[in-house]
Amino acid sequence: MSQERPVTIAFDVMGADHGAAEVVRGAAQLTLDTPNIHALLVGDRTQIDEALATVRHNAERVAVHHTPEWVAMHEKPAVALDEKPNASVVLAAKLVKDGEADAMVSAGNTGAGVLACAKTFSLIPGVRRAALATVYPTAVGRGEKNDPFSLILDVGATVDASANDLVAFAVMGTAYARIISRNKDPSVALLSNGTEAQKGPPRVVEAHEKLKGMAGLRFIGNIEGVDIPKGTADVVVCDGFVGNVCLKMLEGVSETVMELAKYAYKEKLLWRAALAMLSGGIERIKEITDWEQYGGAPILGFNRLFIKAHGRSKARAITNAGKVAAKAVGNDLAMTIEKLLPGRGSS
Amino acid sequence: MTAEPKPHPLRIYRWDLDKTYLQTEFDTFRQLVRTALQKAHEKKAVPGAAALIRELKAAGDTRLCIVSGSPTQMRKVLMEKLKLDGVEFDELVLKDNLRNLVRGRFKALRGQVGYKLPVLLESRARAPVDAEEVLFGDDAEADAFVYSLYADMVARRVSEPVVYRVLEAAEVYSDDIERVIKVWEAIPQADPVRRIFINLDRLTPPAYFAKYGPRVVPIFNYFQAALVLMGDKHLTAPQVLKVMIDLVQTAGYNLLTLSNSFQDLLRRGLPMREVAEALVEALQGPGAMFQVVRPVPDIIAAFTKRVASLGAAPPPPKARDIDYLSLLDDARPRTHKSRRRS
Repeated sequence: MSQERPVTIAFDVMGADHGAAEVVRGAAQLTLDTPNIHALLVGDRTQIDEALATVRHNAERVAVHHTPEWVAMHEKPAVALDEKPNASVVLAAKLVKDGEADAMVSAGNTGAGVLACAKTFSLIPGVRRAALATVYPTAVGRGEKNDPFSLILDVGATVDASANDLVAFAVMGTAYARIISRNKDPSVALLSNGTEAQKGPPRVVEAHEKLKGMAGLRFIGNIEGVDIPKGTADVVVCDGFVGNVCLKMLEGVSETVMELAKYAYKEKLLWRAALAMLSGGIERIKEITDWEQYGGAPILGFNRLFIKAHGRSKARAITNAGKVAAKAVGNDLAMTIEKLLPGRGSS
Repeated sequence: MTAEPKPHPLRIYRWDLDKTYLQTEFDTFRQLVRTALQKAHEKKAVPGAAALIRELKAAGDTRLCIVSGSPTQMRKVLMEKLKLDGVEFDELVLKDNLRNLVRGRFKALRGQVGYKLPVLLESRARAPVDAEEVLFGDDAEADAFVYSLYADMVARRVSEPVVYRVLEAAEVYSDDIERVIKVWEAIPQADPVRRIFINLDRLTPPAYFAKYGPRVVPIFNYFQAALVLMGDKHLTAPQVLKVMIDLVQTAGYNLLTLSNSFQDLLRRGLPMREVAEALVEALQGPGAMFQVVRPVPDIIAAFTKRVASLGAAPPPPKARDIDYLSLLDDARPRTHKSRRRS
């Protein structure tokens, strides 16, 4: 048995698209893959036990916290949390707050997860608003792992971010990229409608000024939307409104490309042959840019970490979300962010 | 003045060695050679196994019988290892594979049923009729199958035609089949086997063994076995705590792993509430040793939380008759099973 410090991840096992069993399978795999990560499964015990019964796991590192309530995907978060104070996502957050677990993972209702965290966790001193971060595959590799993903934040948690919020997001993204992507000196950029410092709304211009002179992070200025897939910056900072629109557009573009490829496949024998010839390369690109290796999107800014896994996450993504959460906890992400914030210990 | 507790009948604890008592790897030829060449002090016991045996042996009239598939040539080194661990045994039966090889009985080299079943029955024939038994095996081979069949044969819950069909399916040689039937007929009917513990060396999901009924208890560690045996009145609370301390001191177990192990048994419907109460009482008594785990209130709180977080107690697993003919795949040597699965 490993002597490493044990890290416990609370999994909200309910409400995901593929059901509790898929989340349990992911958490079970985590106990086999790693020597020190414990899984605290929060949800309906019958469903959890049924799923656990069929998968290999290490019961020494699995605990179950039963609750019959959970928030479904279609429910309005605020209403659901009021009506279900013992919902699995709320209990998971409380268990993290009480020190029973170190971080939380959920593949359920995103709004409910963010709201549960907001009601339960505290913001890191110096952070006014939390940010939802996500990774996006780019054309360049970065960090020790030659990671092709850049980090974009915020993509929906804070719609009306101020200049100071954007600065905090830059700090949070830098700390996260350093720990998770093992990128010692990640480049940070503000997303704007031009690369010039004066471009963009006042809050972006003001944030640019503040970031320009800031020690402890490598601010490279403004970038445009086209620079995101190019991988010009390792960390892309924007407010939640812009980030969400941008993310959805990028997702839409890739879906359209796939549709066009399907169309081409059906349309002409020559195009079909060309696609078949490219299939090896396409598979390789899919492997490199597989979002499941990141597991999910972190909610940054709270003193405790919440990884929001995609609603349609399969077991592998859940396992990786647990690993990412444990890595962030093991490297004390919250403390790293606090130290980097202006006037709080950055040098 | 309290009444003297009624002495229990002889208790026989039957243990397998590899992957049950010893941490052995022999999945590859290299591992097999390494295991064969290991000296006694290089062999590692499964955490808590020696401590559990010591506590069981200390609890009155008991007998420790070891039946292992290790070759007879390893007797000396295995005896030395057991002595190093402070384990005193009454029987140690090893497999004479050299003889099997010389006689060209290649199926017997890997076969488990044809080797263990007659040995178990012969040992039973020498035991008092009222002797109780607890058996320890693992999930790497056919232990759950062989032990369950042995228990049901002694209890006459399984018919002779079924036994014949099982032994034939397990590729047992005809003279060994005759040996099994002969010794079986000589054993007086009894129902001695109380528990069959299966050490989950391969982390097989516990539900896989549900087909063998609640007598078979898959365990992730020997703390779990100690807890169940406490519920079965084979161990006292202080003895269970000694096994727990051994796991903490020698194998890096901590409050989390121990309380999770405890909750795992609760979730499987094993009656643990009385056990928990007795443990709390024992922890609150004198015994500075417990501090090596954590302060006593922390230990109690950790276990209490695991109970509370489950809500209502689940129903105990239901007893069932075992349909051995539907489980023949479990009786075959592992290479055959792998082939069939592939």
